[in-house]
Amino acid sequence: MVKKELIKRSPLRILEKSIQGGLGKGNIGVLASRKGVGKTASLVHIATDKLFQKKPVIHVSYASRVDYIINWYEDIFKEISKKRKLESAIEVHDEIIKNRIIMNFSQEGARTEQVLKSLEVMITQGKFAAEAVIVDGYDFAKASVDDLRKFREFAEKMGIEVWFSASLRGNEPIFDKDGIPKVLINYLDEIAVLLTLSFKGEYIGLNLVKNHNFPPQGELPLKLDPATMLIAEE
Amino acid sequence: MIEINSDIEKMRNIGISAHIDSGKTTLTERILFYCKKIHKTHEVRGKDGIGATMDSMQLEKERGITITSAATHVKWKDHPINIIDTPGHVDFTIEVERSLRVLDGAILVLCSVGGVQSQSITVDRQLKRYHVPRIAFINKCDRVGADPYKVIEHLKSKLGHNAVLMQVPIGLEDGHKGIIDLVRMKAIYFDGADGEVVRTEDIPPELRSEAEEKREEMLDAVTMFSDELMEAVLEECPTEEQIFQAVRNGTISQEMTPVFMGSAYRNKGVQPLLDAVVRYLPNPSDVENYAVDLADEKKKIKLLSDGEAGSVALAYKLEDGPYGQLTYIRIYQGSIKKGDELFNTRLRKTFRVGRLIRMHAERTEDIDSAGSGEIVALFGIECASGDTFTEPGLDYTMTSIFVPEPVISLAVKPVDNNASDNMKKALNRFTKEDPTFRSYVDSESNQTIIQGMGELHLDVYVERMKREYRAEVETGKPQVAYRETITQQVEFDYIHKKQTGGSGQFARVKGSIEPLNKGKYEFVNKIKGGRIPTEFIPSCNKGFQAALKKGQIIGFPVEGIRVTLNDGQSHAVDSSDLAFQTAAREAFKQAYRKAKPRILEPIMKVSVESPSEFAGSVFASINQRRGIIVSSVEDGNFSRIDAKVPLIEMFGYATNLRSLSQGKAEFTMEFKKHARVPENIAEDLIAEYKEKQRLQTS
Repeated sequence: MVKKELIKRSPLRILEKSIQGGLGKGNIGVLASRKGVGKTASLVHIATDKLFQKKPVIHVSYASRVDYIINWYEDIFKEISKKRKLESAIEVHDEIIKNRIIMNFSQEGARTEQVLKSLEVMITQGKFAAEAVIVDGYDFAKASVDDLRKFREFAEKMGIEVWFSASLRGNEPIFDKDGIPKVLINYLDEIAVLLTLSFKGEYIGLNLVKNHNFPPQGELPLKLDPATMLIAEE
Repeated sequence: MIEINSDIEKMRNIGISAHIDSGKTTLTERILFYCKKIHKTHEVRGKDGIGATMDSMQLEKERGITITSAATHVKWKDHPINIIDTPGHVDFTIEVERSLRVLDGAILVLCSVGGVQSQSITVDRQLKRYHVPRIAFINKCDRVGADPYKVIEHLKSKLGHNAVLMQVPIGLEDGHKGIIDLVRMKAIYFDGADGEVVRTEDIPPELRSEAEEKREEMLDAVTMFSDELMEAVLEECPTEEQIFQAVRNGTISQEMTPVFMGSAYRNKGVQPLLDAVVRYLPNPSDVENYAVDLADEKKKIKLLSDGEAGSVALAYKLEDGPYGQLTYIRIYQGSIKKGDELFNTRLRKTFRVGRLIRMHAERTEDIDSAGSGEIVALFGIECASGDTFTEPGLDYTMTSIFVPEPVISLAVKPVDNNASDNMKKALNRFTKEDPTFRSYVDSESNQTIIQGMGELHLDVYVERMKREYRAEVETGKPQVAYRETITQQVEFDYIHKKQTGGSGQFARVKGSIEPLNKGKYEFVNKIKGGRIPTEFIPSCNKGFQAALKKGQIIGFPVEGIRVTLNDGQSHAVDSSDLAFQTAAREAFKQAYRKAKPRILEPIMKVSVESPSEFAGSVFASINQRRGIIVSSVEDGNFSRIDAKVPLIEMFGYATNLRSLSQGKAEFTMEFKKHARVPENIAEDLIAEYKEKQRLQTS
C-alpha cells in the first residue's frame, strides 16, 4: 500500500468523523484510562497518523525517558507498515521523523509556564511549525484548571491542537454516571474532546464522552488491538 | 623493595575529575604529599624510631609535583592507590574512554563558590556513562562566597545526584578552620605547617545542633542502603562500621554520592577525603569487567579478579619517554611477571615482558610481578593503545572491534624539513594511540591527509603536533567524507574485446546492479553452466570492487550496492583474469550512470547541553545548519538537545555555540550515518568536482 492510501484507510478517519472532522486547531483533547491500558500507544498512533500527513508534531513527556518514547514510535510505525504492507517504508520513516520532536521535562513538577515557554521557543526560534502537540504523563490530579486553560490559550495562539493523556487512579468508581472520569470533571470546560479507554470483555474499547458541543456518541466502533496496540476497527 | 600483588581489597584505582578552576591540581598535589608523608613516616619510624621531619627544600620539591604520568601510585594507610589522569577536554576521543575504563571510582571536585558549572556537568556525564562510582569534594571552602550547601543543591538539581553531606564545615571563608565528621561526630582540625597533623576534638557547642540535624539527614538517606543500619538506627545505636558499610553500598551502586569538603590550598579536609576513598570507593574486585572471546564467537566473558585465571590486561595509554615507549596497562585477570610471555590479541603476536614498572610521583620502581587490579607500565613493547594482552592460549579482547570510519579529512603541510620529520613521528604516534585517527599520503596531490571523527578531533591533534612534537604545520580546508550510491536497479551487458596482435583480450559480463539497504557491497554469483569459468569469478568481483573505490559523480567511494552476475562469455585463449577485471569495471561504470546515482553525506548525532535560557538560540542554530532536532530534555535550568546535523554544517559550531550561550553551552557529536545530500547542494558539489578535474587535466 502506498502512503496516501494508508492515510485514507486509517481507522483514525472513523475517529475524526465521530468528532466533527477532527479535534481542530486551538482545542484540547484528552484520552483517559487507568494505567497500562494503552494511552501512550493510542497517542503515538494519533501522532504517527499526523506525521504520515506531513504534519509536524511535538511530543511532550513528563515522565518517560526519551529513548522509551522513541521506541514507542518505532513500534507503532513498524506495526502500521507491517499491517498495511507500506511501500518504501524506510523512506517514509526517514521523512516522518524529520517532523517529530520529543520534549521531555524530567524535573518533577515542571511549571506549565516554563513548559509552554519552551514549546513556543521551539516553534518560533527553532522554526518548527508544529500542528499538533501530544502531552503524555501530565498529572491532572495535581494540576489546576488554570494550568489547562493556559495550555488551551497557547493552542489557540499558536494554532495547534493538543492531545493529553490522563491517567486515572484511585478506587472505583473512577467515572461518573455519564462516563466522565471524576478527576477531569472540573476541567471539562477546557476540554473539547474527551475519550476514554476501557475493557470490554475481550478487548479494549474507545468511548467518546465529550464531543465539542455535540452530544457524545459513547462507544465508538473502534478498539485497541492488544497484539499491536494500534487503534483498529471493531 | 619489591611488593608482590598487594591485597586486592585494599587497592583503589581512582580518577580526580574536576572543572578547570576547582583546584584539581592543588588537591592532587596535596594527596600525593600526604600519602608520601604517611608512607615515609612509616618507613623512617621502622628504621630508627624517630618521627619523620622534612626540611623545607624537600618540601618545596614535593609541592612542585604535578601529575604528568598516566597513573601515579601512592599509598594511604596501607592502601595502594593509583591516581589516573583523566583528560577532561575532548569527550569524543577514544583516549578519554580508555582512561575512564580503567578507573574503579572517582573524586568529583567542585568549587564551593562556583558550584556545578558546565564542565563539571560534562565530566560527571562521562563518569556516569562508564558507571564510575564517585564521591564529591567541595573545595575552596576558605574562599569569599564559599557556600557548600548551595553546591550540594547543585549536585542534586543539576547533576541529579543523591548527594549526602558526610561533613559540615567549621567556619567558612576566612574563618574556615576544619570540618565536623558526621559519622563519628567529632570536629577535625589540621595542624602543623602543612596540615599534616590531624587533631580530633569535641564538636564546638555552637555547632552541635547543626551537626546533629545534618547527621539525622545523613542517616535518613543512608539507611536506604542497609537493613542492618535501618534497624540499628531505629534502636538508636548505629555503629560507625554500620554507617560506613551503608554509605559504601550506596556509593558503589551509584545510588548516592557522599559529599566531603575542605580547602586543599589551606590543607583542610584532604586526609578525611583519602579515608573516604578507601572506605567508600570500590576495590577492583567490586567492579565487574568483561572481555570478548575471539576464539569463541565473540562471547562475552566476565573477568575474574581473583583466583588463578589466565592473565588479561589492557594497554590503555602510551607515553613517549626518554628511553622509548612506555605502555600503561591495567591487569584485569591473573598476574603478570617479569619474563612472562604475553599475547597481543590485535597484532596476533607474542612478546616477552622485559621490565615491569610502577610509577610513583617522583620515581619509577622496577617490580617483579603485578596482580589483578593493578596498574603498571611496560617498557619497549610494540603495541597500540587499546590493545589487549593475554596469557598465550587465551584470545580475549577488552575493546570493541568496531572502529567507526573517519568522517572528515584535512590536508596538513609541514612548514619546513624539520617540521616534516617531526610531523611523521607525531602521526606515527597518534595513529597508534587512537584508531579513529588516520593519516595517509594522497597519491594524486602528494599531500599528507589526516582523518578523524570531527573538526575538534583533528584540531586537537594539529595542536598536539605543534606542542608536543614541534611540528609546525599549515592546514587546508577540512573535507567531509562523502559517499556515492545508486537508487535504482540497472542491467548491464558488457563485452571487453581487444585484438592488437599477440594474444587478445576477451570477456563478457551480464548482470545487474541494485541498491542495497544494509551493508556496503554484496556480490552475488548466479552464473550457471560455466558461462564464465569459475576461476574468473573472483576476477569479476575484484573488477567491481575496483570501480567502487571512486564514484563518477564526485569521485568518492561508492557504497550500498549489490552486484549480481548472471551470464557472460569467455574465450578459450583470449580470456584472462585481467580481461574479466576490466570488463567488470567498465560494465559497472556504464550501469552506474544509469542507476540514478546520488551523493551521501555524513550525518552526525549532536548533543548540546545548555542552560535552558539559551535553548531557543540552540534550536535556531541547529535549524540553520540543516539539522533535525530529535529531542529536548529539560531538567531544572538545564536542557539537553539531541539532533542530527550534516557534518559539513558543523564546521565552526563550537565558536557559534560559545558566542550564543556566553560560553555556557557545550556539545558533543559522533558519526551516525550517511544520508542523501539535498539536490541543490549536490549540484554545487558536482560543479566543484568538475572544476577540480578540469584544473587537473589542463
